[in-house]
Amino acid sequence: MLKKEQNDLVTQTGPGTPMGDLFRSYWLPILLSEELPENDCPPVRVKVLSERMIAFRDSEGKLGLIDEFCAHRGVSLWFGRNEECGLRCPYHGWKFDTTGQCVDVPSEPEESGYAKKVKLKAYPLIEKGGVLWTYMGPTETTPPEPEWEFATVPLNQSFTSKRLQDNNWLQAMEGGIDSSHVSFLHRGDLNNDPLFKGAAGNKYNLADSKPVFEVVEAPGGLYIGARRNAEEGSFYWRITPWVMPCFTMVPPRGDHPIHGHFWVPIDDESCTAWSFDYHPTRPLTDTERQAMKDGKGIHVRYVPGTYRPLANKDNDYLIDREAQKAGRTYSGVEGIGMQDASLQESMGPICDRTKENLVGTDNGIIMARHRLMRAAKALHEKGVLPPGRTVEDMKVRSAAVILPPDQPYKDAAKEALIAKVGVRQTSV
Amino acid sequence: MLLSESARVTTAQEARFRIQAPNSKPRAVKVIALDSEAARLVDDISKKPWNGAAFFKSLSFEQSGGGNVKAWLNDLAGHTSDLVGEIADADCVVVIAGAGEDAAAVSVIAELCTQYHKTLVALVVPQGSYEQDTVDRSLKALRPYAKMLVIAHERDYIEAMLTALRA
Ligand code: FES
Ligand SMILES: [Fe+2]
Repeated sequence: MLKKEQNDLVTQTGPGTPMGDLFRSYWLPILLSEELPENDCPPVRVKVLSERMIAFRDSEGKLGLIDEFCAHRGVSLWFGRNEECGLRCPYHGWKFDTTGQCVDVPSEPEESGYAKKVKLKAYPLIEKGGVLWTYMGPTETTPPEPEWEFATVPLNQSFTSKRLQDNNWLQAMEGGIDSSHVSFLHRGDLNNDPLFKGAAGNKYNLADSKPVFEVVEAPGGLYIGARRNAEEGSFYWRITPWVMPCFTMVPPRGDHPIHGHFWVPIDDESCTAWSFDYHPTRPLTDTERQAMKDGKGIHVRYVPGTYRPLANKDNDYLIDREAQKAGRTYSGVEGIGMQDASLQESMGPICDRTKENLVGTDNGIIMARHRLMRAAKALHEKGVLPPGRTVEDMKVRSAAVILPPDQPYKDAAKEALIAKVGVRQTSV
Repeated sequence: MLLSESARVTTAQEARFRIQAPNSKPRAVKVIALDSEAARLVDDISKKPWNGAAFFKSLSFEQSGGGNVKAWLNDLAGHTSDLVGEIADADCVVVIAGAGEDAAAVSVIAELCTQYHKTLVALVVPQGSYEQDTVDRSLKALRPYAKMLVIAHERDYIEAMLTALRA
């Protein structure tokens, strides 16, 4: 349970809010490179942390992320002409470059210098791993650029997708660190999904639906270990890292690509669920890549031409009660990604946490909220920069291991939890 | 296009119609400090207002007839109560261990939790500048018994957790 004011604190990320400041301390993924495929391509509207912006790639390939609305009379620059190193408003021809600087006000004599005095708010936009990232905080405290493993392996080893989700970021992120739902909600998929099935570890998951948990703090976030019984008194551990504020990884299965998420607020009532899959040491096979494009694993199928899932609230998530009854899916919704999204959206745009009844095994979630609130307050009130901003924090991996009963996973699996170039994931 | 049921009910507008009646009864959370370091923490925390959480700071044992051992819990005011009774009556049992302190008492508590089907949550609280192996020792002692084991470096976490559990 959270008190009303705590719930407001963790769910509100607009400008000037404590959580908003916290989010503005990190590089966040906001667009796929494919959304700005070439120089002078059409600009794209993007809303992040309750701020509306336009992203574009200019004639020289420079990336820009600027205030959506023209400084003249407020037309959306989505209608703009992306030409000759700038975005020109189609209403009266004012033109802005990738830094937001106005470079042309056609009605005024060039010599007047009028354009120089006009500048739209802009944020840096960089490209890494097929993803465009922005940092919306103060320049002086810019953290190191993203070094997440999925974004640094060669592009043929990774696949990243995003989907729009109609609810607050936190209830989505909490799904990412809640390993106990897997044995229920995703039960039907462990043995069927092409990106999950066949792993030796799956049988432990299915046989033991009452895992035991161990929550360990990491400098940048948490490790949540879920322990299930394996053979001869040994334990099957699935270890989920969470890095502040919104990065989570799913423990791997067999040699399947390893995956995880970023949960980025669009505004307080919607978020972008980023889903990445990669293999640290080999290219994805054509079959794997095709499965990901087809919405298998943690990815989804889309309404054509959009990032909105094909199964969405307008069609009741294509719920199939027969499949639910027969046990092919636990909730009647198909696909792991939509199983999560449908339930999280059903909580309402902002989950009312004053009404929840948490149990002891929800401690991973309790701890994550606690750390978020603490860090947000420390930053807002005392200017203390939050955890999770260093390269080391980003070099994490999830892991699945079998360990003897007396070994703490944090030590026994220590190496397995660090991303290393050329080293395969630790998986069962 | 007609709005589907899901589209209609997931709006902020509709969220206002969630029934406001309480959906649970208060639960009995028993918080037991396993050592003197933990007892100091529990002592502080117990002074805050709680929804019936009960705090205990130590265990004592007493030889009773036939080689049986009877265990007593001491609450913060120095009253003793029967461990069996407290556990039987709990909804959730939280044990708190200072890192590296003797956590042996946990086995007695855990046995009762198993017997009465109670969830045991264990918190390890490392002190100031602690050694990693002291934490490991506590973890090792607690691991066989706890359904949820947490290492909480921030002391205010205990409070946060109890609040979250409506203790
Ligand atoms: S069982 Fe967890 S939300 Fe309903
Ligand atoms: Fe899930």
